Amino acid sequence: MKGDRIYIFLFLTPAFIITGIFLYYPFIENLLQSFYNTDGFFNSTFIGLDNYIRLWNDEIARTALFNSLELILYVTVFQVGIALILAILVDSITKGAAFYRTTFFFPIVISGAAIGLLFTLIYNYRNGLLNEILVSMGMERVLWLTEQSSLYMVAIPTVWNYVGFYFVILLTAIQKIPNDFYEAAKLEGITGFQKMFRLTIPLIVTDLKTCMVLAITGTLKIFELVYIITRGGPGNSSEVLGTYMYQKAFEDTAMGYGATIAVLIVVLGLTLAFITNKLLKREEVTY
Amino acid sequence: MKKWNWIVMLTFSLVVLMLAACGNSDAGSASDNENGSNNSGDEQTEQENVNLRVVTTMAGTDPAGAVFQEVLDEFVEEHPHISIENDSQSADAGTIRTKVNTDFSSDNEPDIMFYFNTVDAEGIINEGKVVNLEEAEGIDLSGFNSMLEQQRHQDGNIYAAPQSGFYEALFVNKKLFEENDIELPTTWELYEKAIEEFAKTDIVPLAASTEDSYYVVEHYLLAAGGMENYNAELADKNEAWAEGLDLIKQHADMGAFTPDAATIDLALAQELFKQEQAAMIFEGSWLWGQLEEAGMGEDVLVLPMPIKEGGETGELVGGASQGWFVSSKSYEDESKKDAVVELFNYLTSEDVIVQIAGATGQPPAKGELTDLPDYLKAGHDLVADAPAVALPINDRIYPESFTHIRTSVPAIVSGDKTGAEVIEMAAEMEE
Repeated sequence: MKGDRIYIFLFLTPAFIITGIFLYYPFIENLLQSFYNTDGFFNSTFIGLDNYIRLWNDEIARTALFNSLELILYVTVFQVGIALILAILVDSITKGAAFYRTTFFFPIVISGAAIGLLFTLIYNYRNGLLNEILVSMGMERVLWLTEQSSLYMVAIPTVWNYVGFYFVILLTAIQKIPNDFYEAAKLEGITGFQKMFRLTIPLIVTDLKTCMVLAITGTLKIFELVYIITRGGPGNSSEVLGTYMYQKAFEDTAMGYGATIAVLIVVLGLTLAFITNKLLKREEVTY
Repeated sequence: MKKWNWIVMLTFSLVVLMLAACGNSDAGSASDNENGSNNSGDEQTEQENVNLRVVTTMAGTDPAGAVFQEVLDEFVEEHPHISIENDSQSADAGTIRTKVNTDFSSDNEPDIMFYFNTVDAEGIINEGKVVNLEEAEGIDLSGFNSMLEQQRHQDGNIYAAPQSGFYEALFVNKKLFEENDIELPTTWELYEKAIEEFAKTDIVPLAASTEDSYYVVEHYLLAAGGMENYNAELADKNEAWAEGLDLIKQHADMGAFTPDAATIDLALAQELFKQEQAAMIFEGSWLWGQLEEAGMGEDVLVLPMPIKEGGETGELVGGASQGWFVSSKSYEDESKKDAVVELFNYLTSEDVIVQIAGATGQPPAKGELTDLPDYLKAGHDLVADAPAVALPINDRIYPESFTHIRTSVPAIVSGDKTGAEVIEMAAEMEE
């Protein structure tokens, strides 16, 4: 046992050092900066909790927070939901499964920046793909990115970008279910929908839970798609915490306030992950 | 025993890896220098080999980037003992500010840099990270025009030597004006008339991003109150500033901008103008490079922003806000000092300044550009004849305040905020 402890210690030390230097140290440094009015470089004044008070009263931060939560809702429901439907469909076909698997997974390999640019050109008012189609059909151009629609318009590429990731996870989970279960259920006269709701989904609920936690925490980090497609606009209507933090820290060189927003993102991420885990807690399914 | 050897070796390798990864830039530059020295082998040459690092904004889409690299290559050819790392980065996204600040605060400053001599360089200057050029031995500041004096810091010293000046103005596609039989916007009334007339056509009157509204904000503030009010402090909450912002809304309601102006960026706005889908654009003199590339230099005319009241049409936003800095660390390093001074004097010599300025067509800080096409010369004349020229507002006010003003324009246009409310909030931020 004593020997085991040494091995445990030795094998964990490199990971601990790397995590410590590249994750915990920057986070502690970020936490400290949030108590300063600083540009992060040459000017720094200790201001206690002023940044947190400012954050509490900041209307744009509040908008960004609610937009982030709204995006989490869309992303969790549609990314995981669509991925589940696609996985079940692909699992049930006998021919062409490899083609669909590759097709649905493909958006994952495209960088967020490229997808952002792609959708910028799709939504563009004068020369965008959608409006060019409308004009060629003799219809009026539509302003796709308005204060009311911008968040939905950003949610679409976000969902499309990551559906493939959850699709692969869920497809693998479904394919791991032993065929005997389905054969037995077939003898009992189970229908297609019953098979999905009473057999497949309950048996992959652990994987679904993982997908949901990943979707929730991943959406909190969203930045590049929003930044490229709408820049948080129009009028902050699609501002999310990531873009607002970037604007404050790097465009306005208010690094202290940017650090405070970063603390909010971390706390929110941990809280949501904890709540999701608690809500979806149930016994592991083994077969 | 063998197991223990493996464990010790693994731990040792990891420690070495970590130390190498976390080594500071000093170690890097020291080893660079050593490598540089070793290149000459054991034979001691007359002059020690020196590696210099230069950071500028002449990169990316800046047409001066290629010329600057040529200039550096020529210098290296003439000075074989000096090698130069060109670490330039485009100023488009503003990340150059973070890069320069990070370099200076992590003791990894470039030897020479071409950077904004504005509020952006305050921290670097106050920390004594750059040299007072007037007192630096060997530095030649002779032959500059009035742009050199514009670089003087509030403490009375000069820390940056200018390269060229710039102006911001209204770029007008005169071909579209002629085709649509609309008079050029030389007065406020004609400017409003042009917006009104173009709004009736499929041509966007003014290519602009209301979110990235740097130039729009500056010109409307200038138009609303002339140069005297434009030069006011933010803390004064000048009424002309609020009026200027409200005028943007008034013109947006007249159809001045494309309907998606709140979500396009500057590059897309420029595209509208370059594709002749828009008749006017507020831009800086650096746009000429792109217009020439698009083959439309001859069709474009540059005009001063018409002043509505309180000033004189012809007043301009412009100046020389960027300059060549020498880092104190390099200047005080005896092994580098001569090379740094030599490179600085070379880069600020008349020949090189004119050569680089020629790429963008901007007025040089020394000498003058000859054989300029008429459209470029018109811009230079605009500066020469201007009754007053002032630097952009964002070069002198608190960055968060300017961002608030700039990013509030879509809300002003939609009627959610008024100009006065935005200026009030921006002033509060500065406090």
